Amino acid sequence: MLAIQVLINALVLGCLYACIAIGFSLVWGVLNVINLIHGSFIVLGAYLAWGAYNALGLSPWYSLLIAAPSFFVFGYLLQRLLLNRVITAPVLVTLTLTFGLDLILNNAMIYYFKADYRKLILNPPTGSVSIFDVVVPVDRLIATASALALTFLLYLLLRRSKVGRAIVAVRLDRDAAVLMGVNVKSIYAVAFGLGAALAGCAGVLMALIFPISPLTSSAYLGKAFVVCVLGGLGSVSGALAGGLLLALVEGVGSVYLGPAHAVTLSFVLLIIFLVVRPQGLLGRKGFE
Amino acid sequence: MFHPRLVLAALSASFLLAAAGLGATSSVASAQDVIRFGAPLPITGPLAPEAVKQQQGYDLWAEQANKAGGINVGGKKYKVEIVYSDYQSNTPRSVQTTEQMITQDKVNFMFGPFGSGAAKAASTIAEKYKVPMLAATASSSQVYDQNYKYLFGTFTPNDTLTTPLTKLVKAKATDVKKVAILARNDLFPLAIAQEMEKSAKENGLEVVYFEKYAINTLDHSATLSQIKSLAPQWVFITGYTNDLLLIRKQMVDQQMKAGVVTMIAGPAYQEFIDSAGATAENISSASWWHPAEKYDGKDIFGSTANFVKLFKDKYKLEPDYAHASAAVCGALFQMAIEKAGSLDRDKVRDELAKMDVVTFWGPVKFGANGQINSLEPPVFQIQAGKPVVLFPDAIKQGDFKLGVN
Amino acid sequence: MTRTNIALLVLIACVAALPLFGDAYAMRLGTMACMYAIFALSWNIVGGFAGYPSFATAAFFGLGAYTTGILMNKGVPLSVSLLGALVLCLVLAAALGAVLLRLRGHYFAIASLSLVEVFRELVNNATDLTGGGMGLNIPLVSGSSVLSDATFFFYAMWGLLLLTALVVIAVSASKLGFGLNCIRQNETASNMVGLNSTLHKAVAFGLSACFVGAAGGLYAAWVHYIDPSDVFDILYSVKPIVMALMGGLGSPLGVVCGAFVYLGLEEVVWRNYIQIHSGVLGVLIILLLLFLPHGLISLHASKIWRGLFGRKAKHV
Repeated sequence: MLAIQVLINALVLGCLYACIAIGFSLVWGVLNVINLIHGSFIVLGAYLAWGAYNALGLSPWYSLLIAAPSFFVFGYLLQRLLLNRVITAPVLVTLTLTFGLDLILNNAMIYYFKADYRKLILNPPTGSVSIFDVVVPVDRLIATASALALTFLLYLLLRRSKVGRAIVAVRLDRDAAVLMGVNVKSIYAVAFGLGAALAGCAGVLMALIFPISPLTSSAYLGKAFVVCVLGGLGSVSGALAGGLLLALVEGVGSVYLGPAHAVTLSFVLLIIFLVVRPQGLLGRKGFE
Repeated sequence: MFHPRLVLAALSASFLLAAAGLGATSSVASAQDVIRFGAPLPITGPLAPEAVKQQQGYDLWAEQANKAGGINVGGKKYKVEIVYSDYQSNTPRSVQTTEQMITQDKVNFMFGPFGSGAAKAASTIAEKYKVPMLAATASSSQVYDQNYKYLFGTFTPNDTLTTPLTKLVKAKATDVKKVAILARNDLFPLAIAQEMEKSAKENGLEVVYFEKYAINTLDHSATLSQIKSLAPQWVFITGYTNDLLLIRKQMVDQQMKAGVVTMIAGPAYQEFIDSAGATAENISSASWWHPAEKYDGKDIFGSTANFVKLFKDKYKLEPDYAHASAAVCGALFQMAIEKAGSLDRDKVRDELAKMDVVTFWGPVKFGANGQINSLEPPVFQIQAGKPVVLFPDAIKQGDFKLGVN
Repeated sequence: MTRTNIALLVLIACVAALPLFGDAYAMRLGTMACMYAIFALSWNIVGGFAGYPSFATAAFFGLGAYTTGILMNKGVPLSVSLLGALVLCLVLAAALGAVLLRLRGHYFAIASLSLVEVFRELVNNATDLTGGGMGLNIPLVSGSSVLSDATFFFYAMWGLLLLTALVVIAVSASKLGFGLNCIRQNETASNMVGLNSTLHKAVAFGLSACFVGAAGGLYAAWVHYIDPSDVFDILYSVKPIVMALMGGLGSPLGVVCGAFVYLGLEEVVWRNYIQIHSGVLGVLIILLLLFLPHGLISLHASKIWRGLFGRKAKHV
């Protein structure tokens, strides 16, 4: 029974992890930028859901509709005004720049929201469903379903829309895309905006499940890292595969080795993957 | 490629900056009739929520002391000034900032940084410079084992929390046989979990699960499923407020039930009760102080009720033990200074050492190692969204209720 | 020896005079300055010479701190413990480097970043040896007066800085330095002309870790108490990069100047903006990257940059 329960837990958690990582993966894949503000974006999204629910009585579903466009604009402007200036610089520069941005955003959140933890409590609570002693919390199910829906939307966007095709084109071959008349700077900004919007939406969903504080941003960021490497970069299905693998390893690890070792295990796995299979479970090789 | 100008520029830049930094802080130090207290706090980083509490406690005391004209030192009134600094939840930085406060900011006395680890590290500096340091939130006996002369603390050792708790559970919940303990891998939460394991074994309970979880763990569902499968009657979990909220939420998600669920240190905080909502019901805990206590103190705050009222007026929230401990540290300094009639650090230190007084916090008397040994920490339980004291009997407000769903 | 290297040694020699002027607190800052300079110089071997964006500084800093701390608790004297930390970091980093430095760009960055997490969690979970989350107390070394203690650690750190600088200068003038330079410019080509790039990178990674490890050990003995979240703080990995970017990537003199200026900035910002210092630091980092992308050294020596990155940075 325990084994089945742990498996089910991992399945649900894996989708949440994928949801955390997908925006990060997109930005990394398309822009080749390791976006260290990602964790803080998620937290900001969670605050948005929390504030909207407590102050305006808006349910998190509506918050998703607010979060997506506002984070998109925020991300778009950030890329247009700041990141695009150094986008061709070495890895170090872009990474350090997003580190600086993260310091600012995180400090601002600590300043305005204080560091104490908040919790979005839905009234009435959603509870859990149980089938033969296997328990699944409903809010996680809802968040998982929404996460999958979001991922599917992104997939559609990338496949079907003109902008999406352009993003994929830039991802695959930047120089060729330029030759084909794609405005790379603008595509970068759109991709970064999309990444931010996904992070904001992920934050809204996470608010249902995890306590909210600026201090949790590093935990989200860490998960995003591992998921991306395990699953492979820049692809929607890769994030899903990475999330599931990570959740499974953590779950099984904490039962058999103790919860303190679960984190170690996930990072050891990450290093092994980097060395042995840097393209991840589903990624294509030669993405450097 | 020799650039003497560059070297010069870099050197002078850093010196200028350093000088600017020193200048900015020393300008405030000039006022004559002020007593300066150094308070290093983890304003940013993972411990930030704790810093807010301590700061509120210190500020309330400083406000009250200054409202009364200041601290009376041999007939002359001195205003209180608290010098804050952020050590970024980084222990070595707390050592550095303590030294900076003593040597650069010229503080007269020191408050300890948050928690046992940082307090222990910083107390070395206070000892070196012979500056009395009052630690508001250090409980582990290892902090005081060094037998420093200038370090005093207002928390009793960790086992004074777990022992009465175990005794109470043993007496009221006779069917409790198996205990599961889950601890955050961090100084205080881990230390108290180890005390709990000891006290459970001493009282004939079986510890079926004892594990620690990493700091920053987001998901505990696998761990909790495993604990659930072991069917313990008592689940004992340590961590900070966020961990405990997270775990409590996931316990509910996993439909985990137990006769007794104890969490330390979250439930003593109002924000835990607010955030956990109905799921906080019947969670038991222990802490060093509780607003329901009824002491008639000789300190500036007087009775416990008066402290609670002043605190509520200022911050619009119920004080918890962390707020109160910080405030009482200020009040204790004030009493020691007034008694010594001098700002001489050694005299004030001697007054602290022989202090034997009742405060709103409780009776205060420090042992030879500097740790308070006169307190009886209360055990309490959340009932109908309110903390209800179960022990000691003198301030008991209700009976222990079993069953956490 | 080039003139910049002479300037570097002169600068370090000047720092040694600090105890003549400063009190215990100034000595503490001086010790930090030396430590930061060791970080920056060490990082520069892999990050500057070989062009690999390493985030592993914190991993070896923490490893060195814990090695020294554990040895000293077993009664081993400080000097021997430090040597132990240095050798362990050298060997371990060289071995890891041989594997990890096959990765390039972001992948290497992430791998080195994960190293910090792995080391931290290993130390966290080896409770019997390290005290886990409860931290580790390190016995006092001298136990004498405030000032002599401060002076001792200042000179110890300074000595380590001097040693680091000498080794870095030696490396930059040696075949190893030349090889690393080739690797940065074009690794594939270097391989083709018969350069054993794996060996070069492994040695470079080992050298960049060993002094950081020894600095960690000194630091542990200096503060008497370490815990995993302190010594494996990811900021220790990021700071040397910011210092190097500030001073000028690749130049030993530049990165040391960067380290000193960074410490000055950090100190001023931290003192004057209690609630918002990390935000202010973030603003400074961004301004620096946008307006002075090639570091302080570019103020006078834009040629160096062109020399280093003459080949227009390929879009990685």
